Parts: sequence; structure tokens; C-alpha cells
Amino acid sequence: MSDLRQVPVFTTDGPADWHRVHPISPLVRGWLAVVAVMFIFGRNSLEGAFGGPHGFDPSRTPVMIILAILGAAVIVFGISFFLSWRFTRYQVTDTHVHINTGVIFRQQRRANIDRVQAIDVVQPLLARIFGLAELKFEVADGGKSAMKLSFLKLDEAKRLRAAILARAAGVVIDPASPQLVVEAHEQPILAVPPGRIVASVLFSSMSATFLFILLGILGLILWTGQLGIVVGLIPFFLAMGAAYWRRITGDMNFKVALSPDGVRLHYGMLETRAQTIPPGRVQAVGIHQGLIWRLFGWYRVHVNVAGYGTGGSENGGRTVLLPVGGLPDVMAVLALVFPDPGVDNPLEVFTAGLRGPGNREGFTHSPRQAVWIDPLAWRYNAYRATSTALLTRRGFFSRYLDVVPHERTQSLSLHQGPLMHALGLVDFELHSTLGPIKPVVHHMALAAGLKLFDEQAARAATARRIHPDRPWALPQPLGDLATDELRTKEQNGGD
Amino acid sequence: MAEPMTTPLRHHSAIDPENVKFLPVSGKLITARFIESGASGLFWLALAAIPLILRLTGVWASYPGWLAWLVPAVVLIAVLWTLALIPRQVRAIGYAERDDDLLIRRGILFHRVMVVPYGRMQYVDVTMGPLERMLGLSSIHLHTASPGTNAILNGLPAPEAARLREQLTARGEAKLAGL
Repeated sequence: MSDLRQVPVFTTDGPADWHRVHPISPLVRGWLAVVAVMFIFGRNSLEGAFGGPHGFDPSRTPVMIILAILGAAVIVFGISFFLSWRFTRYQVTDTHVHINTGVIFRQQRRANIDRVQAIDVVQPLLARIFGLAELKFEVADGGKSAMKLSFLKLDEAKRLRAAILARAAGVVIDPASPQLVVEAHEQPILAVPPGRIVASVLFSSMSATFLFILLGILGLILWTGQLGIVVGLIPFFLAMGAAYWRRITGDMNFKVALSPDGVRLHYGMLETRAQTIPPGRVQAVGIHQGLIWRLFGWYRVHVNVAGYGTGGSENGGRTVLLPVGGLPDVMAVLALVFPDPGVDNPLEVFTAGLRGPGNREGFTHSPRQAVWIDPLAWRYNAYRATSTALLTRRGFFSRYLDVVPHERTQSLSLHQGPLMHALGLVDFELHSTLGPIKPVVHHMALAAGLKLFDEQAARAATARRIHPDRPWALPQPLGDLATDELRTKEQNGGD
Repeated sequence: MAEPMTTPLRHHSAIDPENVKFLPVSGKLITARFIESGASGLFWLALAAIPLILRLTGVWASYPGWLAWLVPAVVLIAVLWTLALIPRQVRAIGYAERDDDLLIRRGILFHRVMVVPYGRMQYVDVTMGPLERMLGLSSIHLHTASPGTNAILNGLPAPEAARLREQLTARGEAKLAGL
């Protein structure tokens, strides 16, 4: 393996080749348990030694006890770590990734490479110190969790990532030796300046909530005249500080790059993460602007990717495509995940979609009678179907624009309650994979809703036929041919 | 199988797509729902009537009489209302197989129409509970990669459910698209 380190190539494995993760990875994974156990045992025995019936005994007993504990801990943890390392093996063949783990309960997992939805290279702080990284990939083979390889040397993780992605893309570099893979070069697209990250977190809805609570506390102190209230609120302030810290360090150094393997996101200050989303794996894109961010013209971009989940706190915001950015940045990242917007003037259309209100640029908003249900937002709730995607806009204070490519539509539904029935309105819902984006058009005119329901079902069916599920490494830029085909088809069909 | 499965659904709502003939589910689903709702209704009614019984038997004489009668009365009306709605609700459930997708509709006051493309189906569940088995009914649940797809059809006659499952899986395989 040492000769591979000089050249960025990787050869896929045969059925008999197995590899092991880095020997110290169980320690990197389990260091917290080691520290906790040592602390508890150590403290208990020290207390026992110091707080015995005869008080502190300055003989050699405590030293012996500490040494015994240390020895036992080293042996126990050493054996378990060695076994866990010894029984973890992996293999990357041309079609599958195999990972075998477990000492007592053995687990063998196999992932189909052409089902790979996204690959992350994660480096927690301790792993970074040792130059190690975790490789994590989503396969969407029926809702199972991601497969993980922790930990590998960083170069090795990158090589594996390149190999898996190249196999999924169907790249063959040298027909004479098809097992050879070279890592694709990435081209930087944009980097979010650190100042803007900090400002975006400070001017977020979290700060607004914080400010409200702070004002309430201030009022309470002035009213009661007791400063002691502040002491009771220290845990709250600590939690707030931790929330700010987590959000700022998590999004710090956010960089977006494009490689032939897909869109690559780099971010994180202490724990760094490099996410790769191959072309065509983005199920939906959502652009959001809160009330305060409107002053700065900032937007946040989320994506639905199968396997990423809803982007809740434990997923660490993996669904974020751009934590904060102006309109040019938004258009730049949109162009990466969504190369063909299906219109000739994307900037104007997306601006109309992000700002509203009204029917500009082909958007259709709710009819006048919707004012009874939706007095503020009725002119903002709107939709537009381009030849490649459906754009839905909603929200008056906090604005949302969701974009779903037609070929990624899962299912559709129409809803109508009694009040909406009386007003001749209908809600349209589009179902995407599990994620933060749930596209919906509120309170459409009945006729428009029925038309959209029918047309969208037909458009999705056509788009699925034109975009077969195939490796994405094509001689021409992604999907141009396919979408041109769709365009001519739509023109021939005639509206 | 006594149910005429070929007659289109009589109920029609404003949001049904045009030129689609919805097929109804079995009328036996009304019986099944009556038994289910009736049993749970009796349970709640019995629960609500406990203070009344205690008062009438003199154990809890201080309990206000109007409240003792009002609570069971309200529960009784709610139960009867639920039961009265069942036949119309069941008759409003319909499905239609189109070339590319399956349509499912339901609801009288709160309408819903859903379209599930065959190529998007990940798997199809056919289930049969004890009550359903007695009546010869099955439920069919379509799953896509989206949690929003809540496509369940209750009260299909068992042979029709089996036919639909075969049909759906065959069409799904023919049209299967990647995520």
C-alpha cells in the first residue's frame, strides 16, 4: 500500500482482498468511554483511600491501587480495542462495498455502489490530530442507516471515496486495466467569508428569541428589584452560548466546490466534514429567507438527499447546501445541483420566486378569494412549472422557494377542507424523499390545482422515462441531451 | 366478490380529476368500521357513564346530577355521529389504475386525492387483521421513498387486493426508476 501513496490511484479489490481500518481507530472512537471509566473508578478508589476510617494513610496503598486500576484498564480496553479492530474488515470491489464488523454479534454489510447517494469524509477533532478520517456513505437501499468506515488515514479515505464515486459514475480510465481509479480534481466555486457566518448566526431567529427572553428578564429584574434572578439563569446563558458556538464552528470555513464526481462541500472548524453529492442525487432544493435576513439580502439553501434525513440537530445540518449567501451565491450553487432550470432567464424567474409577490415571471398566486383564509400571504403563495422543475413559493414574513426536478417527484396529492371547498380553493402537495423540504402550494384556485395535479403527474412520468437511472459519467455536460429531448417533446406536444 | 367491482364510484367531489372512473372498495368495510367504532364507542360510553352509575346507586350522591347526565349524552351523540358518517366515508373511498400511476381518493368534508406513480413504488404491503379476515377483506399499503406518500387502501376484497398487488408490482418493475 505504501507505493500507492505517491500516486493518487486506487485499484479496486478482488473477492479475496480485505483491508483493515487504522489500528488506533477504536481508541479514537472510544476515548470518551476510557476517560469516563478511568475517572469514575479512579475517583471512587481515591476517595476510599483518603476517606477511610483512619483518615489519610500516607503509605504506598493509593499508588498501588492507582497502578492496579491503570493496568486493568489498559488490559481490558486494549483487548477489546484489539478485537474490535481485528474483526473490522472492508473491501471495495467494482460493484459493491463490503464491511464486516462485530466480535460477538457479527455484522456483514454490503452496499451496491451504483446506489450510492452521497459520501462524506468526516474528521472529528481527535481524529484530525492523528490525521485520520471517517468515510460515511448513504446507499438508500431501503431506509437503512449510512455505512461507516472509521477510521482511515485521510489519504486512504479520499482514495476510497474517489474509487467508489468513479465506479458509481462508470468511469474507466484505462481500458487495459479497468481496476485503476484516479481521484478527480475539484474546482472551487465559492467560499463563505467567516465574518458573514458569524453575522448570519448573530442576526438569526435564534438571536431574536434570545433578545425577547433577555428583555423579559430585564423587565422582571426592574420590576422586582432583585438582581439574584440572573444567577438562576446562568445555565440558560451557558446553553445559549453553546448553541451559538456550535452553529458558528459548524458552518465555519464553508466552501463549495465542483468535481466530476459531484458537488463537494467542505465545512467545520474543529470537526471538519467534506460532503460529496453526486449529480442527480439531489431530490429537492429549498431556499429560505427569514425576516431579519431580508435586511441583508441573505438566503439559506437546503437540499433533500435520500439518506440525509431531516437535517435535525443530531445530523449536524448535513442538508445545508449554503449556510448563508446573497442572490449571486444562491444562483451559483443552484446551477451546480440543478444545471438546467428549464427557463431562458433563470435569474429573473428565481428572483421572482424568492421575492414575490404577484404573478411576475410566470408564477401563479392564489386567487383573490384566498384573502379570507390567508390575508397576508395569498399573493406570495405561488407556483411555476418550468420544463425541468416545479417551483413553489410561500410565506409572507419568512419566505420559502422550493424547487423539485420533475424526474424526482415521488407522489402528489390534493387536499380540500370545507372552508376551502366553499371558496373554491385547493392545497397541492408534492412528496419528496425524507428531508427538510416539503413542497406545498397553499390555496390554489380549484381549476389551476386540478390542472397542475394532472400536468405534474404527466410531466413526472415523461421526465422519468427520459432520465433513466444510469451512471452519470457522460461525454457531454450532465443531462443536456435529456432535457433538450424533453423540451422538444413539450413543444411538439403543444400546450 | 358479491360486490360489483366494475361500477364506478357514485360519490364525486370537486377535486377529483376529470375523466377518471374511480372504483369503490368493498361495502363490507362499512361492517368492519361499524364493529371497530362501535366497540370503541361502547368503551368510551361506559367510561363516561361511571359517575352516573355511582350517583344512581347512591355511592357518590354529591356528584351534580346535570353533569352526570350531560357527559354520557355528549359521548353518545359523538359516537352516533361517527357511526352515521361511516357509510358515506367508506363510499367516498375510491381508487383508479391509470397507465402510469394509481389514484386514491377519500373524504367527504375533507377531500384528498393522491397520485402514486408505479415507477416510484418501493414496495407494496398487503395486510389482513382478524376482523378483516372474517369479512374476507385486505388492506394494501403503497410505499415510495417519501414519508409523505400515505397511500393506504382499506377494505379491498382479498382476491382484488391480491390482483392489485400483482398488477402494481408488475407495473412497478416495468416502470421502475431510480430515486
